[in-house]
Amino acid sequence: MKKIHIIGVIMILLAAAALFMASDDIATYSTFAQAEKIEGKIKVAGQLVMDKEMYYNPEKDPNYFTFHIKDIEGTEKKVILYGAKPQDFEMSEQIVLTGKMTGDDFVATDMLTKCPSKYKEEELFLKESEI
Amino acid sequence: MPEEIQYIGEHLLFGQIGYFVIILGFVSAIFSCVAYYFATNNEHNDSFASWRRLGRIGFITHGVSIYATIAMTFYVMIQKYYEYYYVFDHVSEDLPFKYIFSAFWEGQEGSFMLWMFWHIFLGALIMIKAGKWEAPVLSVIAAIEVFISSMILGVHIGEYKIGSNPLALFRDTTQMPLFNNEDYITQLAQFADGLNPLLQNYWMTIHPPTLFLGFASTALPFAFAIAGLWRKDHKACLQPMMRWGLFSGAILGTGILMGGAWAYEALSFGGYWAWDPVENTSLVPWLLVVAGIHTNLIAKATGYSIKSTYLFYILTFIMILYSTTLTRSGVLGDTSVHAFTEMGLEYQLLLFIIFFCIASIVFMVRGAPSVAVPEKEETLFSKEFWMFIGSLVLLFSAILITFTTSIPVYNKVAELFGYDLGLTSPLEPIQHYNKYQVWIAIFIGLFSATSQFLRYREFNWKGHQKKFYLHVGISLLVSGVISLLAAQWIQLGVWQYALMLFFAVFTIISNLDFIAFFSKIKRIHIGSFTAHAGFGIMMIGILASGLNKRHISTNVFAQRGILPEDMINENVLLIEDQPMFIKDYQVTYMGDSIVDNTRYFNVNYQRIDKNGNRYESFDLSPNALYNAKFTKVAAFNPSTKHYWGRDIFSHIAGLPPGEADIEDAKAKEDSMQYRSYSALLNTPFEVYDTMRVKEFGYDTTVIKTFKVTIEDINKSPVHHEYKPEMGDLAIGLKMKIDYPADTTSYDAEPIIVLRGSLLFNYAAQVNDLALKLKLNESTLDAVFVPESELEYKPFNFKAGEEINYNGSKIKFINFEKDPQHPGYKKEDKDIVVGAVLEATDPAGQSYAAQPIYLIRGNKPFVLKDEVPALGLHFQFVKIDPATGTITVNIAQHQQEGEIPFVMAANSFRDDYIVLEAIEFPGINFFWLGSIMMMLGLFMGMFRSLGKKLS
Repeated sequence: MKKIHIIGVIMILLAAAALFMASDDIATYSTFAQAEKIEGKIKVAGQLVMDKEMYYNPEKDPNYFTFHIKDIEGTEKKVILYGAKPQDFEMSEQIVLTGKMTGDDFVATDMLTKCPSKYKEEELFLKESEI
Repeated sequence: MPEEIQYIGEHLLFGQIGYFVIILGFVSAIFSCVAYYFATNNEHNDSFASWRRLGRIGFITHGVSIYATIAMTFYVMIQKYYEYYYVFDHVSEDLPFKYIFSAFWEGQEGSFMLWMFWHIFLGALIMIKAGKWEAPVLSVIAAIEVFISSMILGVHIGEYKIGSNPLALFRDTTQMPLFNNEDYITQLAQFADGLNPLLQNYWMTIHPPTLFLGFASTALPFAFAIAGLWRKDHKACLQPMMRWGLFSGAILGTGILMGGAWAYEALSFGGYWAWDPVENTSLVPWLLVVAGIHTNLIAKATGYSIKSTYLFYILTFIMILYSTTLTRSGVLGDTSVHAFTEMGLEYQLLLFIIFFCIASIVFMVRGAPSVAVPEKEETLFSKEFWMFIGSLVLLFSAILITFTTSIPVYNKVAELFGYDLGLTSPLEPIQHYNKYQVWIAIFIGLFSATSQFLRYREFNWKGHQKKFYLHVGISLLVSGVISLLAAQWIQLGVWQYALMLFFAVFTIISNLDFIAFFSKIKRIHIGSFTAHAGFGIMMIGILASGLNKRHISTNVFAQRGILPEDMINENVLLIEDQPMFIKDYQVTYMGDSIVDNTRYFNVNYQRIDKNGNRYESFDLSPNALYNAKFTKVAAFNPSTKHYWGRDIFSHIAGLPPGEADIEDAKAKEDSMQYRSYSALLNTPFEVYDTMRVKEFGYDTTVIKTFKVTIEDINKSPVHHEYKPEMGDLAIGLKMKIDYPADTTSYDAEPIIVLRGSLLFNYAAQVNDLALKLKLNESTLDAVFVPESELEYKPFNFKAGEEINYNGSKIKFINFEKDPQHPGYKKEDKDIVVGAVLEATDPAGQSYAAQPIYLIRGNKPFVLKDEVPALGLHFQFVKIDPATGTITVNIAQHQQEGEIPFVMAANSFRDDYIVLEAIEFPGINFFWLGSIMMMLGLFMGMFRSLGKKLS
């Protein structure tokens, strides 16, 4: 057997081991119901509840933002984000949060909002209006 | 539709020609691919020349068609023909011409055309230069073009739509009531979307063309690899493959770096790399092409690794297609912040990648067995051995990155089989990638440093090993010392990063050593040296800026009741003109200024030493870009202070509600409870108001007492939002608000302006008391007396004379040749004079007034003046030049009764910004190192060009 083959086999084994380890990091989406049973951090995807209060008052604290989201099962929770309110947050179609349940609230450490409809509003308006 | 509508003002010609040339471009690409295919297979037959001619005709037709489509798309965009959907979607009335390019490639259709633009350009070079390689290489390029041009076909076959035509008419793509109107185009303009404001900067002009040239360039080493396998001429293809591989590595790398620079310089991402799927999928092909370049070098020097070289270049291109599929199919929607939205091209994209996977396998299986392998096995101490291992490390890196980036793909695949995996990217994506890639960096450092001192096809290791150990030993030692010093500057944290730092330094030192002490240095080594030393420097920059990046915008005195451990205060509130202490700096928000649609917030940073001396001071101006109508913030752009050793990066994280969005402002204004008050002039009166205080979601109220005094009525008031016009009737109330609770006192001056029949209201805000004061129509009625109700009496004066009027003394002091008056704007040929008057009330208080007498165009004008405190009105009506006597009409109207105004408590402050500031140490190492890497690749490419010529 050539040396290069031996090295090759070692590297393939290493790669397999690395991939196996890396797959441990892959997360799954949870629901709030599951989150309440889990100690550590999880990811939740949900939609903003528009009729519940959204609070951000930088005069009091520029790093405190709360809102409510509804997960796929329809459970609503208050979310606390220790950071600033993102621009155009109200328009987000979907919100993916990383964090954990603390008491009755979900404390988020990271948030990804998706709002592709930002510039489609006028088009919708066009389609709906009877000109 | 009930009947055919004759539309007005449409430019249908471009759509009709466009439809034709796009189909022609698609068909001619197929034709060219097939003709070149037969040319390659008949290379040694008589028919070769005619096949090649047909291939050329096909390719040129394809090129002309696509370039014509591009030109027409540009034309309709420049002309703003909104009847074309692509124009409507990407251009707007207010879009400056300089952003037309950006708007062109903002959409998927435009970026596909940009990609084809470069394929055709590079294909033309091949046609002219490549000689015997022309037929197979262009056959491959034409095949690629068949697939990409199908993306802009816009042809319907049954239910399924193939591609999206950039020259499709809006009314053909969507049904809207508007299209029942024959004159719909005139109304479309106001709704046109325009270019996303986030993309309105010069990076959007230069980054996509570079990146797409990089994408397109990977097709060349790929095509040459296929051509080598096809023609079974494995030696001859090494040189052109190498050249195009280097070209591709340099351009694609530059394109990726530009993306990083864009993210860092102009977007508020707070960094140059975030392991976002979109970034990752363009990095992977680059890693693979670099691996290919190294095995290609081995192949040229020793004859080993030819098959690996083929494989790497093929994988590079396949991964470009994979990247295209991921970013354009909408699959990444949940995990990436900047992927395209889906457009229904998924199946076409899938077909694209599957076709080239199968074709590559077929060529590999048929061509690979004919690759000659050298008899002798490479020794462990040869350069090629460790270079090859290094290439495998790069492959490793690519596999690991792709593995995690593809998580959304696993979900899709599982969905096909009816499973719902619900997988998503790691909870801490950056840590996840870093954890593995740190080892890649370590091994690349190790192999690239040591293999410098090894020789190809080592046949006399015994003779060379002493020199090898000596140089490696010295380099290790020197690197150890430098790393220890560097570790004092960079807080490394864990040992893996210490190891990475060491090998980064080792790469630089060993490359320096090699260039300095190895006698046979040729030009070949300069490119390699630059690239590898650049790699080492870049790694140091990544460590320093990545590990030691820190938020400095933390209010050092802030105390939040219970602060969870992992919550860092990333943002700080800055109130205008109030200095704030953050980490290391004292920052002050100095105010804002507006240029076009951008509002700049000037923030001063100062560092003060223990003795109170200021030793560092600079200003940054992060800005907010508003939309065209100035109603809403579209994007926040950062501002960065660059030092040699570090950057201070800052951007606006938030603005007062009303400042960011006019609708928010309206909603807030509507929610405020204004109460009506009225007060006598100069008579203080007390106001009680209930202030709602909200603390962590709990409502409480406090009652506050204010003392409000209307001190004066100002008939020529000033307000930062009010621009006076001739004929305006403006009134301001000079008010003083005392807050006895903390013995502070504030001035405010709300204004009301009557212009024609319209009333304009300019409120006054007392930020520190959360009070807002406004005037309304009744204020105007109470304060303003119509001229007809005044009973003027004439008085004659000479300069210095004084008269009595209702108990006040009025004195004419002298004439003013250059009088100032709010209602007077000087013009040439005006004959104007002002009378300087002084009115003294019984208490001895004096006031000045200056009515004006003006002759303009032979007509006399009288511009009156007032002393509101005494209710005196003066009209300067006549002047006798002979005697110097003037006639002044005087009337008095005492301000009687109370002056009404409205006031709201709980108003929102409007004089602050929320700032995020981050320090990036050593970021210039990153830029320097990465630029050196690209330069090294370019040098290699030019050297390889020169070799061919000589």
